[in-house]
Order: sequence, then structure tokens, then C-alpha cells
Amino acid sequence: MLKIDSLTVAYGQKRVLKNITIEALPGEIIALIGPNGAGKTTLVRAVSGTIPTESGQIYVNGKDLSRFSTAERARVLAVVPQTRQLGGAYSVEQAVMMGRTAYMSWLGRESQEDRDAVRLALEQAQLQDFADRSIAQLSGGEQQRVLLARALAQSTPVLLLDEPTNHLDLQHQTNLLSLIKRLSIEKELAVLMAVHDLNLVSFFADKVALLVGGELITFGTPQEVICAENISEAYQTPVEIIPHPVTGAPIIFPQGALEQK
Amino acid sequence: MIRKRPYLMNTILLLTAFVISIALGAVFIPPETIFRILAAQIPGININPDWPNSFSAIILAVRLPHTVLVVLTGAALGSSGAAYQGLFRNPLADPYLIGVASGAGLGAVFAMSLNWPTNLLGFYLVPAGAFVGAILTVVLVYNLARVNGMVPMTTLILAGVAVGAFASAMTSFLMLRTDLQLHRAISFLLGGSPMAGWNPVIAALPYMLAGMGMLSISGHMLNVLQFGEEEAKQMGLNVDRAKIFIIVTASLTTAVAVAFSGVIGFIGLIVPHMIRILWGADYRRLVPLSILGGGSALLLADMLARILLAPSTLPVGIVTALAGAPFFLWILRRAKREVFW
Repeated sequence: MLKIDSLTVAYGQKRVLKNITIEALPGEIIALIGPNGAGKTTLVRAVSGTIPTESGQIYVNGKDLSRFSTAERARVLAVVPQTRQLGGAYSVEQAVMMGRTAYMSWLGRESQEDRDAVRLALEQAQLQDFADRSIAQLSGGEQQRVLLARALAQSTPVLLLDEPTNHLDLQHQTNLLSLIKRLSIEKELAVLMAVHDLNLVSFFADKVALLVGGELITFGTPQEVICAENISEAYQTPVEIIPHPVTGAPIIFPQGALEQK
Repeated sequence: MIRKRPYLMNTILLLTAFVISIALGAVFIPPETIFRILAAQIPGININPDWPNSFSAIILAVRLPHTVLVVLTGAALGSSGAAYQGLFRNPLADPYLIGVASGAGLGAVFAMSLNWPTNLLGFYLVPAGAFVGAILTVVLVYNLARVNGMVPMTTLILAGVAVGAFASAMTSFLMLRTDLQLHRAISFLLGGSPMAGWNPVIAALPYMLAGMGMLSISGHMLNVLQFGEEEAKQMGLNVDRAKIFIIVTASLTTAVAVAFSGVIGFIGLIVPHMIRILWGADYRRLVPLSILGGGSALLLADMLARILLAPSTLPVGIVTALAGAPFFLWILRRAKREVFW
């Protein structure tokens, strides 16, 4: 589905991503983890085509994205940006409709297909009751679902998310990730997601890519990647990892905090 | 009613202002007579001319072309103001405040210094000069004001003021150094004496209709750009092409307004803002409504300019500035509380 092949990105002389190769299959959530500055957001932006790449290819369904126009790319690959405050100009439905830009003529006339896709996206993001509300009046969690619905309206096989749970509380983090998990399975989406919270990653991700200093250190299942050795090394802080008593998913404790007690 | 029928309301407002504007002047001509005089011009309609001969001359040769030019100018300033606000994602963008109008004024005066418009060909040279001046200014201000892909309010206004001041200084320099008809040029720059008769209307019309037509169809692009260039691109908008399209059309529209009516401030600020408050910020609707609203607003200012010191006429730019500057300060205070609109 989504294949990132030996991708290298440079800002001027400095290489910020080196030779990254990651593949995501339909229905699979790939989590990008790593300390601040590891290149998670850069990778999301490079794959989405908003920053230029130095070398390497990105394929969706075997097609090289570098040959795609902006609109063609937006029909195979949608991005949910980081949570931020959205202002009041548009209703939820209007904002989600803008996700259909790649299908519209440049006049922006809506077709029946566009309206159907928006209705479906609103349902999937559980926003059908908010359609006419102004986006500024929504809570942080609801606004994040608007951005998710806008990306779903793009009807793409691949979804990229850039730290979608930042600034959300525990309940909204869990709800959003459960929703993404369910959609990835139902719609067979390949999901690539930069996330900070390692415990959430180990519950929701199918595969984990650990980035440090722009390099891919390991890529595998949460059990394989999230071990004391890898995490302590990558984040430069000792951690202890115990398996969840029911699911076996790895749970991370920072050791420094344990010693303080 | 007002909120539900925006196009109807704005059309009624514009037509009312249009008729009153023709009626007002040294002699008051009742609206009924105006309608009869206008109807008599339509071939095949026979109306007994029971009005003084001078009335039809006053209306057809003086007041009608003047009113049409004022409406076109206001419409151009209102719609290009709306487009600049969307492009810069900034509620304070106005062709005047961001220096584009001054740049267009410089271009126009430069063209005049080559050939003061005495024939129709000269009329076409002035807007061309204004257009070049407007484009250069907007590109310069945009690049000066840009910080990390955003165009913040402070840098936008500062860059606009600086570039605008430079353009105004250059304009004054040009006027002093060349044997331009100084009085006419100064009064032109104040938005003082729109050129009389039908010639400027005929010369402005094709540019105006093209510019405003293209602005009217850029609403969807402007909407998507409100989420920022990066997200707009991710949603599938060809951002560079959209930006160039909007900059060129808004600058063309501004330039023509300046070339034929002088540098008039604040219409492009007040009108889109009022419309946004009343009918929302969807640019697919905001831009066409700003065309109608801009026409009404400048007509109103023009009528005040003609009445306040009658029989002499104030430059309309003075009236719009007197009303616009306090309005600008009000928006500035409001905008501080808004993160994004």
C-alpha cells in the first residue's frame, strides 16, 4: 500500500532523514516514535509532499508519488495535522468539504459525490450532530475529529497523522486512537502516525518505527521495538518495561521516576 | 430577512444608492424623472419628454457616468480587499493599508508623466502603469511581511506602511520633477476628481469586469488557503498557482480602480468586514457580496463628499479615511482576541 523507499531529506547541507524505508499494509497502523528532533514530523511532511526530498521514492499502490500533481497526491494520501486552535469562520461541514478540493474543479463546485463523501466522513468521525456548528465553538477533541473527518473526506487509501493526540486529555486521546484503529480496519487504510506517548503506541499500533537523529533504528511490532534497551538508548533515559497483564503490550516506566520514590 | 437573502439585500441597497446618487446635485432631479429619462433612451420606448432639456444632459453626460464609475471603483476596492484579506489570512489587509494602492498610484502617475491622458489611448496607458506598480508592491510587501510561512498582522502593516510611504514619496518626487499638471495629479491621488464623462468608464470597464469576474471565482481557493499553505497543499490545492492567480487579479482590479479614481482607502477594509459579520466568511459568497457592498459604500461616501461642503466637492478619499480610520482601530482591538477567522 504505502511504501517509503530509502527516503533522504535535507535542510540545506544538513540531512534530517537518512535512508528511511518503511512499508504500511492496508488496515495497518504504523507508529513513528523517537525523541524530540528525531525527524517524525519531517517524515510525515516529506511523505505528504509538503517538503522536498533529496533522494528515495514514495509509492502508493506501486505508483511513484513524485510523478503526481498536487491534486493527484491528495487523492491517495491525506494528512491529519497537529492539534491546534481552529477559529470561527467555517461550519464543520464546510471545513470537511474542503477535504474534497482535490476532486473539485478550481471553482470549487460540489458534486453529489462530494456531498456523499462528506456525509460519510462526518459519520465516521462521529460529527454528524455537529455539521452546522462553527468549528471555533468546538472543544479540542472535537476540533481534532474535524481535521480527521476532513482527511477522511479525501477518500484516500493512506492516512498520515502528525501527533494527533497532542494537547488532548487521556479520554480524548484514547477515543481518537480507537476511532483511527477502527477506521483503519474497516476502510483498510494504511496509517502512518507520529506519536509521543509510547504506552498508547504499544496498544494501538501494529508496527512501530523508532527514529533517532533522522535514522530508522528499528522497525517491527510493538513487542519487538519497545524494549528497555531500545527505548533507554533512544531517549537517553533508563526505563523499565513490563508487559500488560492482559494484552501483553509493553508498558513503559521511566526508571528515574521509580528511583525518586 | 437581511441575513437570509444577502444578494437581494445588497442589490436593493446598491440600486437605491445608485438612484439617489443620480438624483443629488446642484439641481435635484426626482427619481421618477430619472427613470423616465433613462427609459426614453431605450429604442422602441416612446416617452413624452416633459422635463427640461438640461435634465437629460445632466443625467446622461455627467451624473450617470460619474455614478457608474464610482460604483465600479467601490466594487473593485471591496472585492480586491476581500481577496487580499483571504490571501494574507489577515483581516487588516486592504489595498490601501498594504501599500498596493500607493504602488498603483505611483505607477499611474509615472504613466501620466509620460502622457497625460487626453485621448482614449492615454486612458489605457495609465491603468497599465498602475497595474505594474500594484503587482510590484504586493510582491514586495508579501515577501517583506512573511515570517515562517505566515503573514502576521504586525509585519504586514509595517511592511505595507513602509513600502506605501516609499511609493508616495516617489510619486511626489515625480510630480515635482516633471511638468505634470500638478493640481490635477494631487487631486487624483486624493481620490478627488474622478475623470468626467464616459471615456474613463469605457476604458475601465473591460479590466474591471475581467478582474472582478476572476475574483468572484476564486472563493473556494481562498477558503482552502485559510487553513494555511501547507494544509491547503495537502488537501490538493495547487497553492502556488492559486496565489499567483489571486495576486494578479486583485492587483489588476485595484490598479484599475486607482488609475481611474485615485487612491481611495478603507473601502477594501470596511466592506468585507461588515459582510463577514453579517453573512459569514465563506469566500465564495464574501467576494461577490463585497463587489455589491463596495459599490454601495463608495457611492455613500461619494454622496457625502458632494453634500458636506456643497457646492464644492470634497475628495472622496478624505471621506473614506475619516470613516475608515476609526473603523480600522476598532478591528485592530477586536482582532487581538481572535486567533484565526
